[in-house]
Amino acid sequence: MERDVKLSRFTRAGSAVAVGALALTLAACGSDPAAPGAESTGGPAEGSDSALSGELSGGGASSQESAQEAWRAGFQTANPDVTVNYDPVGSGGGRTGFTDGSYAFAGSDAALDEEEMTAAEAQCGEGGVIEFPGYVSPIAVAFNLPGVESLNLKPEVIANIFSGKITTWNDEAIAADNPDAELPDSAITVVHRSDDSGTTENFQAYLHEAAPDAWEHEPEGVWPIEGQESAQGTSGVVSAAQSGEGTITYADASQISGLGTVAVGVGDEFVPYSAEAAAEVVAQSPRAEGTADGVYSIELKRDVAGTYPVVLVSYLLACGTYADQAQADLVKGYMSYLVSEEGQKAAADAAGSAPLSADIRDAVLPSIEAITAG
Amino acid sequence: MSTATIPDPSGTTEATARTRAALTGADGARRRKDRTMTVLIWSAFVVAMAPLVSLIWTVLSNGAARISMDFLSLSMRNIFGGDPSGGIYHAIVGTLIITALATVISVPVGLLAAIYLVEYGKGVLARAVTFFVDVMTGIPSIVAGLFAVSLFTLFLGPGVRMGVIGAVALSVLMIPVVVRSCEEMLKLVPNELREASYALGVPKWLTIVKVVLRTSVAGLTTGILLAVARVIGETAPLLVTVGVTDSINFDPFEGRMMTLPVFAYRQYSQGQATCPGGESATCVADIAIQNAWGAALVLIVLVLALNLIGRLVNRWFSPKLR
Repeated sequence: MERDVKLSRFTRAGSAVAVGALALTLAACGSDPAAPGAESTGGPAEGSDSALSGELSGGGASSQESAQEAWRAGFQTANPDVTVNYDPVGSGGGRTGFTDGSYAFAGSDAALDEEEMTAAEAQCGEGGVIEFPGYVSPIAVAFNLPGVESLNLKPEVIANIFSGKITTWNDEAIAADNPDAELPDSAITVVHRSDDSGTTENFQAYLHEAAPDAWEHEPEGVWPIEGQESAQGTSGVVSAAQSGEGTITYADASQISGLGTVAVGVGDEFVPYSAEAAAEVVAQSPRAEGTADGVYSIELKRDVAGTYPVVLVSYLLACGTYADQAQADLVKGYMSYLVSEEGQKAAADAAGSAPLSADIRDAVLPSIEAITAG
Repeated sequence: MSTATIPDPSGTTEATARTRAALTGADGARRRKDRTMTVLIWSAFVVAMAPLVSLIWTVLSNGAARISMDFLSLSMRNIFGGDPSGGIYHAIVGTLIITALATVISVPVGLLAAIYLVEYGKGVLARAVTFFVDVMTGIPSIVAGLFAVSLFTLFLGPGVRMGVIGAVALSVLMIPVVVRSCEEMLKLVPNELREASYALGVPKWLTIVKVVLRTSVAGLTTGILLAVARVIGETAPLLVTVGVTDSINFDPFEGRMMTLPVFAYRQYSQGQATCPGGESATCVADIAIQNAWGAALVLIVLVLALNLIGRLVNRWFSPKLR
């Protein structure tokens, strides 16, 4: 038995080169990207915040993902030693993770119910729970009809279209409110989300409240009617609607480029969607009573004139006290940035959300400022 | 056939022609069988290759455009929306560290278990080990992930995410593969080599180290590399154990890490970004999809590179017979 010296020497050199090359690519020049422009400084004005460091992890509603990305980028730019993570696991997962202590903060498309609130209070300790509608996004009712850019539709008519009772575009119910529009006699194709989604739930909640007679389905994340066209995710329904004529769908308002939109009937007038009108409906809605100081959940009023009532309201959850001082400081800093005008503007730019009203900000800021370790 | 062109005595030509006629002409059924089988085997080969070629081609054509120095050397920290300036450095680092750690855990355990089974194991215990290794091979990967999560939750409380938990989950998947393949390789070592070694008075343990392992080193490396390739593309167990992050983390014992499969999955599920001012150099609507393809390509190249290194290690260490 003898080693093949020639081959061995050759492969030895080859291996050395390969290993060296690998080591080089690994060790070389890996870094975080440079700050993308200095316009967002993040965090409240005082400079002491840059002393923050550590890792903060939360999770929850996937509807907040784009906004959370913008917030994290802004906050991490202002505090380079901080890393914030957000797992878009869905609202239910976020609430569970928050109540069992896995997540320091969470996002949820629905406010905590009583049972969850009890569990969350037990987890948070004496500081209690902080809950507020930090992310509000208008849901547009969008359609694809050549030559028609806007339609006025009353809630009952929208409900009847989506439940399949109104089947053609030139139906009298539609024509009555749109005397100027040229409506074809083609069939209406409803496109809905095929996945479980907060958009579906909030859209149904609107139909259920504004047109209880026409929409009898209980609001939930899954679309209740079978046999209609469906697609996965917001981008899926939008592209399905864009590719077919005579389609109508509901989607996050920031994503419906190229489609006509519905001005929704509120009282006697019709309101087209806009971030401002959506913010207004949240500002006009009363705060739910009988809750703790830190909890700002709202009872949406969907009939206030001049407001856009089809909105997705997504809550942020945090604790009043944390076991760890560093964690408390991080949550405090992140939440204060998130509700600040700057944070809300960042989310509006990135996700098309409606900025938080000054009233709500003033109401929740004291509880956020009071976050301590205990 | 060249026989026809070679000039040679007439009798031989005639005999050759007769033989050829007998071989090729007489039994048409056998020839047809031969042709059919040839065609079948070739088409089976093509069918087996088609998915592989198609996969590599799809990933290459979709991912190659995204690969650049920035893509390989930057993380996604503070990158959001349609911003194309991010990269996958954090995911490459995470994948390499976690897979290396999983290999460090599973290779000693798996190799020693295989040596036990081949060289020492007898009776009930050996049969039980073989049985449970077989059972472990069939564990769905998410179960391995949940096992690791619950194990560490017992000691560290809920919500803990770090690289080493992912490594433990991966080694649960990796150990049975290592055991099985190493066992087969060790069985291939001829018994005569062991007997010769014993005859020279070499103790059993030294025989195993110097003769058995040395002889089978090529097969062992291949088996271990197959096991690495098996786990390096795992998504689900890493998603629940290591979590996701946008930043670079070199420490598997502290904080979350990103890995390439999880990165590709996360980017893919993000879908289209919104570009308020239309598409431009700073806002690409389908950047997340492009990132996912790029990460997939890098992952494939990584596995390929590991295999190449394995080949080199083989040549380097295995004994050469002249």
